[in-house]
Amino acid sequence: MNVPLHSVPDWTIILAALFIFHKNFQASQHNKNIMSADVPTAKLILVGDGGVGKTTFVRRHKTGEFEKKYIATVGVEVHPLKFNTNRGLLCFNVWDTAGQEKFGGLRDGYYIQGQCAIIMFDVTARQTYRNVPTWHRDIVRVCNVIPIVLVGNKVDVMDRKVKPKQINFHRRKNLQYYDISAKSNYNFEKPFLWLARKITGDVNLRFVEDAALEPPEVAIDLETMKRYEEELDIAAVAPLPEEDNDF
Amino acid sequence: MSEEDTLAKPTTQTTENVEESETGGDEGANIEEENRTAFQPLFNLEQLPEVETKTLEESEDVVYEVRAKMFRFDVEAKEWKERGFGQLKFLQNKEKKDKVRILMRRDKTLKICANHFILPGMNVKPNVGSDRSWVYNTPADFYDDQANPELLAVRFANPEKASEFKAKFEEMVKQVEEARK
Repeated sequence: MNVPLHSVPDWTIILAALFIFHKNFQASQHNKNIMSADVPTAKLILVGDGGVGKTTFVRRHKTGEFEKKYIATVGVEVHPLKFNTNRGLLCFNVWDTAGQEKFGGLRDGYYIQGQCAIIMFDVTARQTYRNVPTWHRDIVRVCNVIPIVLVGNKVDVMDRKVKPKQINFHRRKNLQYYDISAKSNYNFEKPFLWLARKITGDVNLRFVEDAALEPPEVAIDLETMKRYEEELDIAAVAPLPEEDNDF
Repeated sequence: MSEEDTLAKPTTQTTENVEESETGGDEGANIEEENRTAFQPLFNLEQLPEVETKTLEESEDVVYEVRAKMFRFDVEAKEWKERGFGQLKFLQNKEKKDKVRILMRRDKTLKICANHFILPGMNVKPNVGSDRSWVYNTPADFYDDQANPELLAVRFANPEKASEFKAKFEEMVKQVEEARK
Protein backbone atom coordinates (compact mmCIF):
# COMPACT_ATOMS: atom_id res chain seq x y z
CA MET A 1 0.00 0.00 0.00
CA ASN A 2 1.48 3.34 -0.97
CA VAL A 3 0.98 5.83 1.82
CA PRO A 4 3.20 8.83 1.08
CA LEU A 5 5.53 9.29 4.05
CA HIS A 6 5.27 13.05 4.09
CA SER A 7 1.50 13.15 4.39
CA VAL A 8 -0.74 12.49 7.35
CA PRO A 9 -2.24 8.99 7.41
CA ASP A 10 -5.09 8.67 5.00
CA TRP A 11 -7.96 7.47 7.15
CA THR A 12 -9.89 6.09 4.24
CA ILE A 13 -7.01 3.76 3.44
CA ILE A 14 -6.66 2.71 7.04
CA LEU A 15 -10.38 2.09 7.34
CA ALA A 16 -10.37 0.12 4.11
CA ALA A 17 -7.46 -2.00 5.34
CA LEU A 18 -9.33 -2.67 8.58
CA PHE A 19 -12.36 -3.61 6.56
CA ILE A 20 -10.38 -6.17 4.56
CA PHE A 21 -8.90 -7.57 7.76
CA HIS A 22 -12.42 -7.79 9.14
CA LYS A 23 -13.68 -9.61 6.04
CA ASN A 24 -10.83 -12.10 6.25
CA PHE A 25 -11.55 -12.63 9.92
CA GLN A 26 -15.30 -12.95 9.36
CA ALA A 27 -14.73 -15.49 6.62
CA SER A 28 -12.49 -17.62 8.81
CA GLN A 29 -14.81 -17.32 11.82
CA HIS A 30 -17.80 -18.24 9.74
CA ASN A 31 -16.13 -21.46 8.70
CA LYS A 32 -15.18 -22.27 12.27
CA ASN A 33 -18.75 -21.74 13.42
CA ILE A 34 -20.63 -23.75 10.86
CA MET A 35 -18.26 -26.64 10.48
CA SER A 36 -17.67 -29.22 13.11
CA ALA A 37 -14.40 -30.50 11.71
CA ASP A 38 -11.76 -28.39 10.02
CA VAL A 39 -12.93 -28.21 6.46
CA PRO A 40 -10.11 -27.60 3.99
CA THR A 41 -10.74 -24.06 2.76
CA ALA A 42 -9.28 -22.01 -0.06
CA LYS A 43 -9.58 -18.31 -0.82
CA LEU A 44 -11.01 -17.86 -4.29
CA ILE A 45 -10.90 -14.47 -6.01
CA LEU A 46 -13.75 -13.82 -8.43
CA VAL A 47 -13.08 -10.92 -10.79
CA GLY A 48 -14.23 -9.47 -14.09
CA ASP A 49 -15.91 -6.35 -15.43
CA GLY A 50 -19.10 -5.00 -13.85
CA GLY A 51 -22.29 -6.71 -14.99
CA VAL A 52 -20.74 -9.91 -16.37
CA GLY A 53 -22.63 -11.97 -13.76
CA LYS A 54 -20.23 -12.67 -10.90
CA THR A 55 -22.69 -12.14 -8.06
CA THR A 56 -25.48 -13.95 -9.89
CA PHE A 57 -23.15 -16.92 -10.41
CA VAL A 58 -22.25 -17.07 -6.71
CA ARG A 59 -25.89 -16.79 -5.65
CA ARG A 60 -26.87 -19.49 -8.10
CA HIS A 61 -24.50 -21.81 -6.28
CA LYS A 62 -25.42 -20.61 -2.84
CA THR A 63 -29.22 -20.56 -2.93
CA GLY A 64 -30.15 -21.87 -6.37
CA GLU A 65 -31.82 -18.61 -7.33
CA PHE A 66 -31.19 -16.72 -10.55
CA GLU A 67 -31.28 -12.97 -9.96
CA LYS A 68 -32.14 -10.94 -13.04
CA LYS A 69 -31.88 -7.51 -11.45
CA TYR A 70 -28.47 -5.89 -11.59
CA ILE A 71 -27.21 -4.43 -8.35
CA ALA A 72 -23.53 -3.48 -8.55
CA THR A 73 -21.40 -5.05 -5.85
CA VAL A 74 -19.62 -2.48 -3.70
CA GLY A 75 -16.16 -3.47 -2.51
CA VAL A 76 -16.27 -7.17 -1.87
CA GLU A 77 -18.61 -9.81 -0.48
CA VAL A 78 -17.21 -13.04 0.87
CA HIS A 79 -19.30 -16.19 0.43
CA PRO A 80 -18.28 -19.61 1.68
CA LEU A 81 -19.28 -22.22 -0.91
CA LYS A 82 -19.01 -25.82 0.22
CA PHE A 83 -18.80 -28.82 -2.05
CA ASN A 84 -18.99 -32.41 -0.95
CA THR A 85 -16.36 -34.52 -2.69
CA ASN A 86 -15.14 -38.10 -2.61
CA ARG A 87 -12.45 -36.76 -0.25
CA GLY A 88 -14.90 -35.01 2.05
CA LEU A 89 -16.09 -31.42 2.24
CA LEU A 90 -14.11 -28.65 0.56
CA CYS A 91 -14.87 -24.98 1.04
CA PHE A 92 -14.11 -22.07 -1.26
CA ASN A 93 -14.28 -18.68 0.38
CA VAL A 94 -15.38 -16.78 -2.69
CA TRP A 95 -14.34 -13.13 -2.72
CA ASP A 96 -16.95 -11.65 -5.00
CA THR A 97 -15.38 -8.32 -5.94
CA ALA A 98 -16.84 -5.16 -7.43
CA GLY A 99 -16.28 -5.15 -11.17
CA GLN A 100 -17.18 -1.52 -11.63
CA GLU A 101 -14.13 0.60 -11.14
CA LYS A 102 -15.93 3.21 -9.07
CA PHE A 103 -16.93 0.55 -6.55
CA GLY A 104 -13.63 -1.32 -6.66
CA GLY A 105 -11.92 0.01 -3.58
CA LEU A 106 -8.67 -1.57 -2.50
CA ARG A 107 -8.37 -4.32 -5.05
CA ASP A 108 -4.87 -5.47 -4.16
CA GLY A 109 -6.03 -5.94 -0.60
CA TYR A 110 -8.76 -8.28 -1.76
CA TYR A 111 -6.29 -10.35 -3.78
CA ILE A 112 -3.82 -10.92 -0.96
CA GLN A 113 -3.48 -14.61 -0.12
CA GLY A 114 -5.75 -15.59 -2.96
CA GLN A 115 -5.20 -19.28 -3.62
CA CYS A 116 -7.23 -19.71 -6.77
CA ALA A 117 -9.28 -17.47 -9.05
CA ILE A 118 -12.08 -17.19 -11.56
CA ILE A 119 -11.97 -14.43 -14.18
CA MET A 120 -15.38 -13.88 -15.74
CA PHE A 121 -16.38 -12.07 -18.89
CA ASP A 122 -19.65 -11.77 -20.77
CA VAL A 123 -19.70 -13.41 -24.22
CA THR A 124 -22.29 -10.85 -25.33
CA ALA A 125 -20.04 -7.84 -24.55
CA ARG A 126 -16.68 -7.75 -26.34
CA GLN A 127 -15.14 -5.15 -24.06
CA THR A 128 -15.44 -7.47 -21.07
CA TYR A 129 -13.22 -9.98 -22.89
CA ARG A 130 -10.77 -7.29 -23.94
CA ASN A 131 -10.30 -6.41 -20.26
CA VAL A 132 -9.44 -9.97 -19.24
CA PRO A 133 -5.64 -9.42 -19.52
CA THR A 134 -5.85 -6.54 -17.05
CA TRP A 135 -7.69 -8.63 -14.48
CA HIS A 136 -5.26 -11.46 -15.03
CA ARG A 137 -2.22 -9.23 -14.65
CA ASP A 138 -3.52 -7.86 -11.35
CA ILE A 139 -4.08 -11.33 -9.93
CA VAL A 140 -0.67 -12.59 -11.00
CA ARG A 141 1.06 -9.53 -9.59
CA VAL A 142 -0.37 -10.15 -6.12
CA CYS A 143 -0.78 -13.94 -6.06
CA ASN A 144 1.94 -15.23 -8.41
CA VAL A 145 1.15 -18.68 -9.81
CA ILE A 146 -2.27 -19.90 -8.75
CA PRO A 147 -4.81 -21.99 -10.66
CA ILE A 148 -7.12 -19.68 -12.60
CA VAL A 149 -10.25 -20.42 -14.61
CA LEU A 150 -11.43 -18.07 -17.32
CA VAL A 151 -15.19 -18.29 -17.86
CA GLY A 152 -17.33 -16.76 -20.60
CA ASN A 153 -20.78 -16.25 -19.09
CA LYS A 154 -24.22 -15.79 -20.70
CA VAL A 155 -23.73 -18.39 -23.45
CA ASP A 156 -27.50 -18.93 -23.30
CA VAL A 157 -27.99 -15.60 -25.11
CA MET A 158 -28.58 -16.12 -28.83
CA ASP A 159 -26.62 -13.08 -29.96
CA ARG A 160 -23.15 -14.13 -28.86
CA LYS A 161 -20.47 -11.56 -29.63
CA VAL A 162 -17.26 -13.24 -28.41
CA LYS A 163 -17.05 -16.35 -30.58
CA PRO A 164 -15.26 -19.51 -29.39
CA LYS A 165 -12.52 -19.14 -31.99
CA GLN A 166 -11.69 -15.68 -30.62
CA ILE A 167 -11.11 -17.00 -27.13
CA ASN A 168 -7.44 -17.82 -26.79
CA PHE A 169 -6.11 -15.82 -23.86
CA HIS A 170 -6.26 -18.88 -21.60
CA ARG A 171 -3.91 -20.83 -23.84
CA ARG A 172 -1.21 -18.20 -23.67
CA LYS A 173 -1.46 -17.82 -19.90
CA ASN A 174 -2.06 -21.43 -18.96
CA LEU A 175 -5.60 -20.98 -17.65
CA GLN A 176 -8.56 -23.33 -17.91
CA TYR A 177 -11.49 -22.09 -19.98
CA TYR A 178 -15.23 -22.82 -19.80
CA ASP A 179 -18.29 -21.41 -21.53
CA ILE A 180 -20.91 -21.08 -18.80
CA SER A 181 -24.43 -19.84 -18.23
CA ALA A 182 -25.56 -18.86 -14.77
CA LYS A 183 -29.05 -18.74 -16.24
CA SER A 184 -29.27 -22.23 -17.76
CA ASN A 185 -26.66 -23.76 -15.41
CA TYR A 186 -24.60 -24.85 -18.42
CA ASN A 187 -21.17 -25.95 -17.10
CA PHE A 188 -21.88 -24.06 -13.88
CA GLU A 189 -20.09 -26.61 -11.69
CA LYS A 190 -17.04 -26.97 -13.95
CA PRO A 191 -14.94 -24.02 -12.73
CA PHE A 192 -15.21 -25.21 -9.12
CA LEU A 193 -14.52 -28.82 -10.01
CA TRP A 194 -11.39 -27.90 -11.97
CA LEU A 195 -10.13 -25.67 -9.15
CA ALA A 196 -10.94 -28.34 -6.55
CA ARG A 197 -8.84 -30.82 -8.51
CA LYS A 198 -5.92 -28.41 -8.72
CA ILE A 199 -5.86 -27.36 -5.09
CA THR A 200 -6.08 -30.95 -3.89
CA GLY A 201 -3.81 -32.40 -6.54
CA ASP A 202 -6.36 -35.17 -7.21
CA VAL A 203 -7.10 -35.17 -10.93
CA ASN A 204 -10.01 -37.55 -10.39
CA LEU A 205 -11.73 -35.63 -7.61
CA ARG A 206 -15.51 -35.59 -8.05
CA PHE A 207 -18.55 -34.09 -6.39
CA VAL A 208 -20.68 -36.51 -4.40
CA GLU A 209 -24.10 -36.38 -2.74
CA ASP A 210 -24.49 -34.23 0.35
CA ALA A 211 -25.56 -36.27 3.35
CA ALA A 212 -29.35 -35.92 3.63
CA LEU A 213 -29.84 -35.56 7.38
CA GLU A 214 -33.30 -36.33 8.62
CA PRO A 215 -35.37 -33.14 8.73
CA PRO A 216 -37.00 -32.28 12.07
CA GLU A 217 -40.66 -33.01 12.54
CA VAL A 218 -42.44 -29.90 13.67
CA ALA A 219 -45.88 -29.98 15.18
CA ILE A 220 -48.02 -27.11 13.91
CA ASP A 221 -50.72 -25.48 15.97
CA LEU A 222 -53.96 -24.31 14.42
CA GLU A 223 -53.00 -20.66 14.41
CA THR A 224 -49.74 -21.31 12.56
CA MET A 225 -51.58 -23.56 10.15
CA LYS A 226 -54.00 -20.74 9.41
CA ARG A 227 -51.17 -18.32 8.72
CA TYR A 228 -49.52 -20.84 6.39
CA GLU A 229 -52.76 -21.24 4.52
CA GLU A 230 -53.05 -17.48 4.05
CA GLU A 231 -49.47 -17.23 2.81
CA LEU A 232 -50.11 -20.13 0.51
CA ASP A 233 -53.02 -18.25 -1.05
CA ILE A 234 -50.73 -15.29 -1.76
CA ALA A 235 -48.05 -17.56 -3.18
CA ALA A 236 -50.54 -19.39 -5.36
CA VAL A 237 -51.38 -16.22 -7.25
CA ALA A 238 -47.77 -15.06 -7.62
CA PRO A 239 -46.55 -16.33 -10.98
CA LEU A 240 -43.43 -18.48 -11.10
CA PRO A 241 -40.38 -17.18 -12.98
CA GLU A 242 -40.59 -17.61 -16.72
CA GLU A 243 -41.12 -21.00 -18.23
CA ASP A 244 -38.06 -22.78 -19.46
CA ASN A 245 -36.93 -25.76 -21.43
CA ASP A 246 -34.72 -27.41 -18.87
CA PHE A 247 -36.60 -30.65 -18.95
CA MET B 1 2.08 8.24 -10.65
CA SER B 2 4.26 5.16 -10.63
CA GLU B 3 3.86 2.32 -13.09
CA GLU B 4 2.51 0.20 -10.25
CA ASP B 5 -0.30 2.67 -9.67
CA THR B 6 -1.27 2.63 -13.28
CA LEU B 7 -1.32 -1.14 -13.36
CA ALA B 8 -3.43 -1.44 -10.26
CA LYS B 9 -6.54 -0.11 -11.90
CA PRO B 10 -8.12 -2.11 -14.68
CA THR B 11 -8.99 0.26 -17.47
CA THR B 12 -10.49 -0.10 -20.83
CA GLN B 13 -7.08 0.22 -22.42
CA THR B 14 -5.31 -3.06 -22.60
CA THR B 15 -1.63 -3.65 -23.05
CA GLU B 16 -2.26 -6.86 -24.90
CA ASN B 17 -4.53 -7.31 -27.80
CA VAL B 18 -6.61 -10.29 -26.84
CA GLU B 19 -8.29 -10.44 -30.18
CA GLU B 20 -5.09 -10.59 -32.17
CA SER B 21 -5.92 -13.95 -33.64
CA GLU B 22 -9.51 -13.12 -34.46
CA THR B 23 -8.90 -14.08 -38.03
CA GLY B 24 -6.33 -16.76 -37.44
CA GLY B 25 -7.87 -18.65 -34.51
CA ASP B 26 -7.42 -22.40 -34.42
CA GLU B 27 -10.94 -23.16 -35.45
CA GLY B 28 -12.19 -26.58 -34.53
CA ALA B 29 -9.93 -26.86 -31.50
CA ASN B 30 -11.73 -27.52 -28.24
CA ILE B 31 -11.41 -24.31 -26.26
CA GLU B 32 -12.55 -26.09 -23.11
CA GLU B 33 -9.89 -28.78 -23.38
CA GLU B 34 -8.74 -29.73 -19.90
CA ASN B 35 -5.65 -27.90 -18.75
CA ARG B 36 -3.58 -30.59 -17.05
CA THR B 37 -0.98 -28.36 -15.48
CA ALA B 38 -0.17 -29.49 -11.96
CA PHE B 39 -0.12 -26.66 -9.45
CA GLN B 40 1.35 -26.87 -5.98
CA PRO B 41 -1.60 -28.38 -4.06
CA LEU B 42 -2.81 -26.50 -1.00
CA PHE B 43 -3.48 -29.66 0.96
CA ASN B 44 -1.69 -32.88 1.60
CA LEU B 45 -3.69 -35.64 -0.08
CA GLU B 46 -2.88 -38.00 2.78
CA GLN B 47 -4.87 -35.71 5.01
CA LEU B 48 -7.77 -35.85 2.60
CA PRO B 49 -8.38 -39.59 2.38
CA GLU B 50 -11.08 -40.98 0.12
CA VAL B 51 -14.26 -41.24 2.14
CA GLU B 52 -17.20 -43.51 1.62
CA THR B 53 -20.14 -41.38 0.54
CA LYS B 54 -23.06 -41.64 2.91
CA THR B 55 -26.21 -40.19 1.41
CA LEU B 56 -28.14 -41.01 4.63
CA GLU B 57 -30.89 -42.39 2.44
CA GLU B 58 -29.70 -45.90 3.13
CA SER B 59 -32.60 -46.81 5.45
CA GLU B 60 -35.26 -45.55 3.05
CA ASP B 61 -36.97 -46.77 -0.10
CA VAL B 62 -37.50 -44.55 -3.13
CA VAL B 63 -41.26 -44.73 -3.64
CA TYR B 64 -41.40 -42.11 -6.39
CA GLU B 65 -38.99 -39.91 -8.34
CA VAL B 66 -39.33 -37.26 -10.99
CA ARG B 67 -37.35 -34.44 -12.63
CA ALA B 68 -38.42 -31.12 -11.16
CA LYS B 69 -37.59 -27.49 -10.60
CA MET B 70 -38.07 -26.27 -7.03
CA PHE B 71 -38.86 -22.70 -5.94
CA ARG B 72 -39.31 -21.05 -2.57
CA PHE B 73 -41.57 -18.09 -1.94
CA ASP B 74 -39.82 -15.04 -0.56
CA VAL B 75 -42.63 -13.70 1.63
CA GLU B 76 -41.06 -10.24 2.00
CA ALA B 77 -40.30 -9.74 -1.69
CA LYS B 78 -43.54 -11.52 -2.61
CA GLU B 79 -41.82 -13.46 -5.35
CA TRP B 80 -40.65 -16.96 -6.16
CA LYS B 81 -36.96 -17.72 -6.07
CA GLU B 82 -35.45 -20.78 -7.62
CA ARG B 83 -34.00 -23.41 -5.31
CA GLY B 84 -32.70 -25.84 -7.86
CA PHE B 85 -33.25 -28.21 -10.74
CA GLY B 86 -32.74 -31.93 -10.45
CA GLN B 87 -34.15 -35.24 -9.25
CA LEU B 88 -36.95 -35.08 -6.66
CA LYS B 89 -37.60 -38.21 -4.60
CA PHE B 90 -40.20 -39.47 -2.14
CA LEU B 91 -38.33 -41.53 0.43
CA GLN B 92 -40.16 -43.84 2.81
CA ASN B 93 -38.49 -45.19 5.91
CA LYS B 94 -38.12 -48.99 5.57
CA GLU B 95 -39.32 -49.62 9.13
CA LYS B 96 -41.51 -46.65 9.96
CA LYS B 97 -44.02 -46.34 7.15
CA ASP B 98 -45.37 -43.07 8.56
CA LYS B 99 -42.07 -41.39 7.76
CA VAL B 100 -42.00 -40.19 4.20
CA ARG B 101 -39.87 -37.27 3.07
CA ILE B 102 -39.33 -35.25 -0.06
CA LEU B 103 -35.64 -35.00 -0.89
CA MET B 104 -34.23 -33.17 -3.87
CA ARG B 105 -30.68 -32.56 -5.05
CA ARG B 106 -29.41 -30.16 -7.67
CA ASP B 107 -27.92 -31.69 -10.77
CA LYS B 108 -24.14 -31.74 -11.07
CA THR B 109 -23.20 -30.33 -7.67
CA LEU B 110 -25.56 -32.82 -5.93
CA LYS B 111 -26.34 -30.30 -3.22
CA ILE B 112 -29.62 -30.68 -1.37
CA CYS B 113 -32.24 -28.12 -2.38
CA ALA B 114 -35.28 -29.54 -0.54
CA ASN B 115 -35.60 -31.91 2.43
CA HIS B 116 -38.84 -32.13 4.41
CA PHE B 117 -41.41 -34.62 5.65
CA ILE B 118 -44.78 -35.27 4.11
CA LEU B 119 -47.13 -34.71 7.05
CA PRO B 120 -50.80 -35.41 7.79
CA GLY B 121 -53.09 -32.73 6.39
CA MET B 122 -50.67 -31.49 3.72
CA ASN B 123 -52.03 -30.64 0.31
CA VAL B 124 -50.94 -29.04 -2.93
CA LYS B 125 -52.56 -26.14 -4.76
CA PRO B 126 -52.24 -24.98 -8.35
CA ASN B 127 -50.15 -21.93 -9.20
CA VAL B 128 -51.64 -19.19 -11.31
CA GLY B 129 -50.89 -19.45 -14.99
CA SER B 130 -49.09 -22.79 -14.88
CA ASP B 131 -50.61 -26.16 -15.65
CA ARG B 132 -47.50 -28.06 -14.63
CA SER B 133 -46.75 -26.67 -11.18
CA TRP B 134 -47.98 -27.06 -7.61
CA VAL B 135 -47.50 -25.00 -4.50
CA TYR B 136 -47.51 -26.30 -0.93
CA ASN B 137 -46.00 -25.50 2.44
CA THR B 138 -43.83 -27.27 4.94
CA PRO B 139 -43.25 -26.31 8.60
CA ALA B 140 -39.64 -27.49 8.47
CA ASP B 141 -37.56 -27.70 5.34
CA PHE B 142 -34.03 -28.73 6.28
CA TYR B 143 -31.85 -26.71 3.97
CA ASP B 144 -28.30 -25.42 4.36
CA ASP B 145 -27.98 -26.76 7.92
CA GLN B 146 -31.19 -25.19 9.22
CA ALA B 147 -34.87 -26.02 9.32
CA ASN B 148 -37.31 -23.32 8.30
CA PRO B 149 -40.98 -23.17 7.37
CA GLU B 150 -41.17 -22.65 3.63
CA LEU B 151 -43.70 -22.07 0.91
CA LEU B 152 -42.55 -24.15 -2.01
CA ALA B 153 -43.51 -24.50 -5.64
CA VAL B 154 -42.51 -27.36 -7.84
CA ARG B 155 -42.63 -27.42 -11.63
CA PHE B 156 -42.53 -30.43 -13.92
CA ALA B 157 -41.83 -31.14 -17.57
CA ASN B 158 -45.53 -31.29 -18.49
CA PRO B 159 -49.06 -31.41 -17.00
CA GLU B 160 -49.03 -35.23 -17.01
CA LYS B 161 -45.99 -35.36 -14.75
CA ALA B 162 -47.60 -32.71 -12.57
CA SER B 163 -50.78 -34.77 -12.06
CA GLU B 164 -48.70 -37.87 -11.42
CA PHE B 165 -46.87 -35.95 -8.65
CA LYS B 166 -50.13 -34.74 -7.12
CA ALA B 167 -51.62 -38.23 -7.07
CA LYS B 168 -48.50 -39.68 -5.47
CA PHE B 169 -48.29 -36.83 -2.96
CA GLU B 170 -51.90 -37.36 -1.88
CA GLU B 171 -51.39 -41.11 -1.66
CA MET B 172 -48.40 -40.56 0.64
CA VAL B 173 -50.30 -38.12 2.87
CA LYS B 174 -53.04 -40.75 3.21
CA GLN B 175 -50.51 -43.50 4.04
CA VAL B 176 -48.87 -41.30 6.67
CA GLU B 177 -52.25 -40.47 8.18
CA GLU B 178 -53.29 -44.16 8.23
CA ALA B 179 -50.02 -45.28 9.79
CA ARG B 180 -50.43 -42.78 12.59
CA LYS B 181 -53.96 -43.75 13.58
